[in-house]
Amino acid sequence: MIELQHVTFVHQNGVRALDDVSVRIESGETVAIVGENGAGKTTLVKHVTGLLKPASGTVLVDGKSTTEMTTAQLSRKVGVAFQNPDHQLFSESVDEEMSFALRNFGFSPEVVEQRVTWGLETFGLEEYRKSSPLVLSGGEKKRLTLACILAWDPEVVILDEPTVGQDSIQKEKLAQTIGMLGAAGKTVVVVSHDIEFLWPMQPRVIVMKAGKVVGDGPAPIVMQQKELLDSARVAEPQLVALYQALATRPDSPFADALDARRWVEGRRAAG
Amino acid sequence: MMWVSGGFIFRKGTSVYHRLDPRVKLLNSALMFATVLLVRSVYELVGVMVFMVAIAVVAQVLRRVGRTMAFTGAFSAVIFVLNLVFTGSIATSLLYAVRFIAIVISTSLFFITTSPDELEQVMKTFRLPRDVVFAFVTAVRFIPVMLLDTIQIMDAQKSRGLELEKGNILRRVRNMIPILIPLVVNSVVRSGELAEAMESRAYGAVPHPTSLVEYRASAMDKVTALLAVVLFAAAAYSFYFIFPAKFP
Repeated sequence: MIELQHVTFVHQNGVRALDDVSVRIESGETVAIVGENGAGKTTLVKHVTGLLKPASGTVLVDGKSTTEMTTAQLSRKVGVAFQNPDHQLFSESVDEEMSFALRNFGFSPEVVEQRVTWGLETFGLEEYRKSSPLVLSGGEKKRLTLACILAWDPEVVILDEPTVGQDSIQKEKLAQTIGMLGAAGKTVVVVSHDIEFLWPMQPRVIVMKAGKVVGDGPAPIVMQQKELLDSARVAEPQLVALYQALATRPDSPFADALDARRWVEGRRAAG
Repeated sequence: MMWVSGGFIFRKGTSVYHRLDPRVKLLNSALMFATVLLVRSVYELVGVMVFMVAIAVVAQVLRRVGRTMAFTGAFSAVIFVLNLVFTGSIATSLLYAVRFIAIVISTSLFFITTSPDELEQVMKTFRLPRDVVFAFVTAVRFIPVMLLDTIQIMDAQKSRGLELEKGNILRRVRNMIPILIPLVVNSVVRSGELAEAMESRAYGAVPHPTSLVEYRASAMDKVTALLAVVLFAAAAYSFYFIFPAKFP
């Protein structure tokens, strides 16, 4: 469980990146954090990983304050894949890159080998096992960083802009992986501008603006609040826009179209 | 790290000193630098440092200069100890240690009050080759970017269980590898991308491109430059003829 209690954080240049933020994320929840650039999304995430400590307020991970732990200690529980994969890749080969964190955490060589193989196979990187991670394409690097995090099986997985540079198939695979993590009881936090990617997962959505949480709730509810989304410069999902255009009449056949899968199944059942 | 860098990197300011012609600021710093080299006793050096602190107050950068002093303090302590070991004289060791801090302040006063664009213009007035000027100014401009990169890389590696503050000195040095490799690779990639972007925007198409900025010294600039030269001459004269302090 992650809990931020009245957290405020001010950068050295005086910018209030987080302003009295209080959020509670239960274990096993899938949460999307959205908002314009500079809204404080990444700053919030960095507080959960212990990279930043609050100027005031408390950040608790499993009931323990992040000020009592180093980032390295916290990272065993909280794995974060940052936006830019070039900021972490340094090893001579892809498998060494994947084993870096595992060795830091003291896993045995057998377990390291087993998890590296799992990660490479899951993310379609097996053929690059002995290649330098620096020569991979942008999308492959992104997948590698994600594989690196999932390899040590953290309880909380935070993905910062995971879809940048990914083609539609990889996005689909990524969505499946997130679904799989959710099903496995992991807490997943996705920071993204890619609303169309987030929407099918139907996560809990936290909307941020100017360092404050201005919206919080299930995707079907939050994503229909056009004024809120506009003020936070978040685009509404196309399906929501279509639904709102078509389902205004109570007898509209699209009244339940917000859940696309259920709607299609309903039409099929109706013949 | 950003705290330390604040003592060296330019930030916009509105003080009288910021508004001076960059050539005058360079002259001031060069003369302060020379004065620091001329002093022969700790007392004289303290006098010069008080003068530099006064300039920092006028330029409204005292706090940032304080950071520079705090950062160089560590190196200065090493200089003091080494000198003490080899010369055995506390006065000489103190002079060299404080002189190092004073030299850094004299140069940092120029860099923290002069933008990379102004720096470029200053270098052009010395008729340095355009490529050299561009390379130097770009390097200066990219220092904050690289600092930010370093912080982000450190964040990413710490999130993978890397403990930078743990272990003996050898282990700590080894722990820097995951930081330095991405930093160097990113810098090389970025410089390649920058070169391509510059070429695609006609860099080098003509030998003498036009300039948007032409500096003309104002009355304030001229008075400041004159004052700087007079003060330097007076200081040099007093060091050698009025108070001929025994070295050190």
